[in-house]
Amino acid sequence: MLTLASVFAANSSSSNIFLQQIENGITLGAMYALVALGYTLVYGIIELINFAHGDIFMWGTVITFIVVQMMGLNHPLSGFALVGVLLLLIIIGMAVSAFLNAGLERVAYRRLRKAPRLAPLIAAIGASFILETIVQLWRGTNFYAFPDIFPHGGFTIFGARVNYLDIFIVVLAVAMMYGLARFINTTKLGRAMRATAQDPEAAALMGVNINRTISITFLIGGALAGAAAVVYNMYIGQVWYLTGFQLGLIAFTAAVLGGIGNIYGAVFGGFLIGLIQSLAIQFIPGGFQWSLAVVFAVLVLILVFRPSGLLGQQVPDKV
Amino acid sequence: MSATNIRAQLSDSISAVLSNKIAGRELRWYLSGWRLGIILLVVCIILPFVLDGIDPSLVTTSIAIGTYIILALGLNIVVGYAGLLDLGYVAFFVIGSYTVAVGTYGFLQNAQGKSIPIPSFSGQLFWLLIPLAALLACLFGILLGAPTLRLRGDYLAIVTLGFGEIVPIVFQNVPWFFGQFGMSASPPPDVGPITFSDPLNQYPFYYLTLALVVLVILGVTSLRGSSIGRAWIAIREDETAASVAGVNLVRTKLMAFGLGALVGGIGGALNAAFVSSIAPSDFNFNISITILIMIVLGGLGSIPGVIVGAIVLRFVDVYLLGKINDAVHGLPLVSGSGAPLHFLNNVDFNTAKFLIYGLILMFMILLRPQGLIPDVRRKRELQGIGASAEGASAVGLLEREEAGEDEAGGETTTVGAGSDAQGRED
Amino acid sequence: MPENVLLRLRDVKKVFGGLTAVDGITFDVNQGEIYSVIGPNGAGKTTVFNLITGIYKPDGGEMLFEGQSISGLSPDRVLRRGITRTFQNIRLFNNMTVLENVLVGQHSKIPGNLPSVLLHLPNYQRAERRAEERAVELLSFFGPSLVARKDDYAANLSYAERRRVEIARALGSEPKLLLLDEPTAGMNDAETGEAINYIQRLRSEFGLTILLIEHKLQVTMGISDRIAVLDYGRKIAEGVPAEIQRNEQVIEAYLGRKAAVE
Repeated sequence: MLTLASVFAANSSSSNIFLQQIENGITLGAMYALVALGYTLVYGIIELINFAHGDIFMWGTVITFIVVQMMGLNHPLSGFALVGVLLLLIIIGMAVSAFLNAGLERVAYRRLRKAPRLAPLIAAIGASFILETIVQLWRGTNFYAFPDIFPHGGFTIFGARVNYLDIFIVVLAVAMMYGLARFINTTKLGRAMRATAQDPEAAALMGVNINRTISITFLIGGALAGAAAVVYNMYIGQVWYLTGFQLGLIAFTAAVLGGIGNIYGAVFGGFLIGLIQSLAIQFIPGGFQWSLAVVFAVLVLILVFRPSGLLGQQVPDKV
Repeated sequence: MSATNIRAQLSDSISAVLSNKIAGRELRWYLSGWRLGIILLVVCIILPFVLDGIDPSLVTTSIAIGTYIILALGLNIVVGYAGLLDLGYVAFFVIGSYTVAVGTYGFLQNAQGKSIPIPSFSGQLFWLLIPLAALLACLFGILLGAPTLRLRGDYLAIVTLGFGEIVPIVFQNVPWFFGQFGMSASPPPDVGPITFSDPLNQYPFYYLTLALVVLVILGVTSLRGSSIGRAWIAIREDETAASVAGVNLVRTKLMAFGLGALVGGIGGALNAAFVSSIAPSDFNFNISITILIMIVLGGLGSIPGVIVGAIVLRFVDVYLLGKINDAVHGLPLVSGSGAPLHFLNNVDFNTAKFLIYGLILMFMILLRPQGLIPDVRRKRELQGIGASAEGASAVGLLEREEAGEDEAGGETTTVGAGSDAQGRED
Repeated sequence: MPENVLLRLRDVKKVFGGLTAVDGITFDVNQGEIYSVIGPNGAGKTTVFNLITGIYKPDGGEMLFEGQSISGLSPDRVLRRGITRTFQNIRLFNNMTVLENVLVGQHSKIPGNLPSVLLHLPNYQRAERRAEERAVELLSFFGPSLVARKDDYAANLSYAERRRVEIARALGSEPKLLLLDEPTAGMNDAETGEAINYIQRLRSEFGLTILLIEHKLQVTMGISDRIAVLDYGRKIAEGVPAEIQRNEQVIEAYLGRKAAVE
């Protein structure tokens, strides 16, 4: 978690360290939650740990970074320019990740739908390697710094520094989650997703187009990861071919923590992991080196003692 | 005759001889396997002299290959036989490597960064380190397995992945092991006139590696045809039916996990003694996956397949890619600054191997899940009397199956004493 | 407890989520009996089997085998007490040979300690040899045809042959009580007749007690000593075949409804 160092160093001037870490944890958690949703949606519908999901996210970070580079942006924007660029980046990021994810499903996972559980997982690991290595061959192993395009500034509350960027991130993430919940609970497609998650055969008998529904699930999961990629670029700002591996594992942990298959669980788990990680970094001696180990320890403990996650699976919400 | 035909015949003959011809008849099978085994052993004994003549670095390459044959055979117990997907096998490799390093280095570091002398396994005591490394790895395998083996397959995969990531972090961050700089390990001591510390003479190391490889092959071959091997495969095929037939799931899975880890520990010990300097950053997820790819490529559960998988991949990795790199970068079309294919100069073929690995995984799973040299079971089914295309299935882990439904609860898997099957299955 | 009661279920319960699959079932199976459990689909018959063999943990009640509790034991422990079973949808190990399948059934009879197995020590080799001989013996119970196919893969057998191999596998553990879950499902009349024949021979030649789930009345009425009728997870009747055939409640709840469905 080398990349987190920059974020937390920037906040070191705050006077209330505990609250500051809570604030950091919430921002980080919003980002994790977006990625975790992609794991949970896919797992909910086809019971596959989409191992390549983190790399789908990473591709979002790389492509949006290239777009920003091509536009020659290297300083904070404001006004319409800011809104326009953010909108453009979010749309591009979401589109790239969404189509990559759906493409992967179409090319690989779909053919393995009747295969035993571990076969698509191994295919997903292969996909993850392919996606990472392409970027490595193309961009090298260096970190690229994403330019500072979001306006600096913020305010201090109870001794904790809150940047405008943090507010933007949390608002964006919450808006997307709200949109997702509305989509799943109120639209016809959302209903098809819920039906397919519960019983694909019965859903097919009722006239649900299973292939299309699964494709849409992958599109949505990918799109959320693409949005998270834009957030990551502005918040952490280090574009790297292996980002997806670590962040993906953390997000997967978040999904499991909340109860995989449960979309509210993924959001809850995302924020919780964000908080655990930021507090562990601050309050465990040498916390930085251990922060990933702490996340994994949480994962192992949850899986062993409460495999259905903290929120369990509330069937009506399961997708 | 087409290439496919030749390959099929070749794999036929190899697997027919090396593997269990009449399943369950270990003794007879043993004897029939012996003959080919001895021929291959003689070839392996002569091999370094031949290789030395072609390219002396090939002897070193063979040692590196041997280490991975051991690792791949170890992981094959867990994944190929018992059907448990372990994505963190590198952990046992690390533990084995550090056991030898700690045992021979003579120092540990305290929290203040000072080196503290500790007793070391000097002289012929070194040889104790190999079984010790195996035992320690086995112990950690059991410690990890005990709480996690009840988990469903894909969850188990992720937990083992986590373990594989944590173990190197521990060695990096616990003060004793010199952090990111790692430790050095001594080569084995001289035995009479045989010396392992002469960098110009790799023959002794080659034969040490060969001996360990043969030992591991004998071990896994013996297990494969035994009641334990049968129980592993039964679990892989159908956990519930195996349990009802009297197989203790927890014990049998733990045995697979522990023995797999044990073999990984042996591989680690050999690795440390050979490379002589180890650091936490040498051990990562890529290693776990590389070993997994070896067995998926060769054929899950197939001993000859796994060996060939390890040889091919490791040879490409440590030898061929370097040669390709040099050859391509040395081409006139590439090397000059204005050369038309100059961009190839920036392509590192060592990196590209992970792309190849990824493609191998995807294509094998999609197109040939039984591997290049399938387990003999698969072979027999393809030739089988009245076997239909759908009826025949690949190695259980990757086969297609139609799970039957029980009356009330749907498909159920029971997972040993004390666990609530329902809670985990919902 | 009378001496001849082998298996005793008292008020056994199993709940899945909100659904009570088995709602307080009580019955005794006597030594040497063929005892059948019948009832419409979803009545909880297979769940009862899953509870007895330890695949499910009961949510209430007690299960005694030879006077000792078997509640909450894992399936392999239950097997070691002397209970084993077959499955409604035959569950053989398809990538193993017929012989290997039957050998797995004798797993509990072969020493499992690592050194013996790894080094093929004499005690292990003896046990393996015995197990193989025994496996062939068990297969020959069904006539010579199955013995001839012992090295074939289980996946390549016919349906009726697979049923037989599954029974041979179950016999390998030398059980006292054998649970057969619809042993004639999917069989034609001739095959069903053979099955009836060998189920009776299982009792006479192996001294087995048999607990049977069966839909075909031809089978249950023909060979059962006693029959229990389940409906909605409860036992609604119990008695000898003649009694069951006359029982109004049974005709209404089970036969009547089944007839209506069909």
